Amino acid sequence: MVTKYITALFFIAFCSISYAQSCQNPKVDAASFTSLDATVVTQIAYITEFTLKCDNPLPENYALYAEVEGRPLTAARIGENKYQVSWTEEPTKARAGLHEIHVLDEEGWASLRRARRADPAATVSPLLAIQLQHPGSYSGPWVNSEILATGLSILVAYVALRNKSKILA
Amino acid sequence: MAAKLLSLILIVAAAVAADDEPTVAKLLVSKQVLNKYLVENMDILVKYTLYNVGTAAAVDVKLEDNGFHPEVFTVVGGQLSAQIDRIPPQANVSHVVTVRSNRYGYFNFTSAEVTYKSSEDASEVIYSISSSPGEGAIVAFKDYDRKFSSHILDWAAFAVMTLPSLAIPFFLWYSSKSKYEKLSKPKKTH
Repeated sequence: MVTKYITALFFIAFCSISYAQSCQNPKVDAASFTSLDATVVTQIAYITEFTLKCDNPLPENYALYAEVEGRPLTAARIGENKYQVSWTEEPTKARAGLHEIHVLDEEGWASLRRARRADPAATVSPLLAIQLQHPGSYSGPWVNSEILATGLSILVAYVALRNKSKILA
Repeated sequence: MAAKLLSLILIVAAAVAADDEPTVAKLLVSKQVLNKYLVENMDILVKYTLYNVGTAAAVDVKLEDNGFHPEVFTVVGGQLSAQIDRIPPQANVSHVVTVRSNRYGYFNFTSAEVTYKSSEDASEVIYSISSSPGEGAIVAFKDYDRKFSSHILDWAAFAVMTLPSLAIPFFLWYSSKSKYEKLSKPKKTH
């Protein structure tokens, strides 16, 4: 009788501990940076720094992982409840627009790995989804100014010579 | 017969015992500056990649880069110190930071410092440094602009300067043409 009571108590305690480990009602405050000038850098950087706010206090080493468009990343902790997710991309492959970052905690990440082993297209609902807006990077003008100047001067010369031959003829 | 059996037993025992090697984590950190040109007040992209080449997970990894003096370099994206709780064996993690320099000249990119514990229950902290990208020349913005900007304004000024040599003959011709046409018209109507 007593042992049943004690085991029930342990079970409840264990459940509450494992329940409290993950973030309840996560709220995120994110700031992002992307390389806007592609003329001096060889890769485009996408950096998101975010602060995680939970209803329950987080355990000491709360690790977060992220997945962006199939790319697995680890979030680095840069301060109290502050994390950074960053990656680089080739300029030819980097597209402007919204990039969806799925952030998962350790349990979510482990369950995603398990699900992926069975089915490569499986997804797990993320702890939070951060959207990173990349306005596009400037990689030089469409037409070089010297080519434009040459083209215009050839056009002007052509028009002038044509009119001249029309007059002389 | 007995000797053969004994040697077999010894070989098996050695094999079983050999499996129990201590698993340690070893981190190799590379610091790369991903720039074609280093220009003052323009993005300098630094990527730190931590590779765990050991057999155990590296725990409590702290990456710190003190090589960018805050008076000269402003961090525009990311942070120069980061902590990663766990790097599994044979896995890698990368961290990207963007800085801008407000000075030009030669700059020596030094190594970043990494501390980690070699396994889950290790007590001592291992101190390691990343690779150093070496010396780079941060070019003044004036020189970079002179070489690489699109010079649209310069070309516009050139077009304005060539306008007199084109416009003056054109107007001379046009005024004499219109005068000739005015002269010729009355003759026709007569």
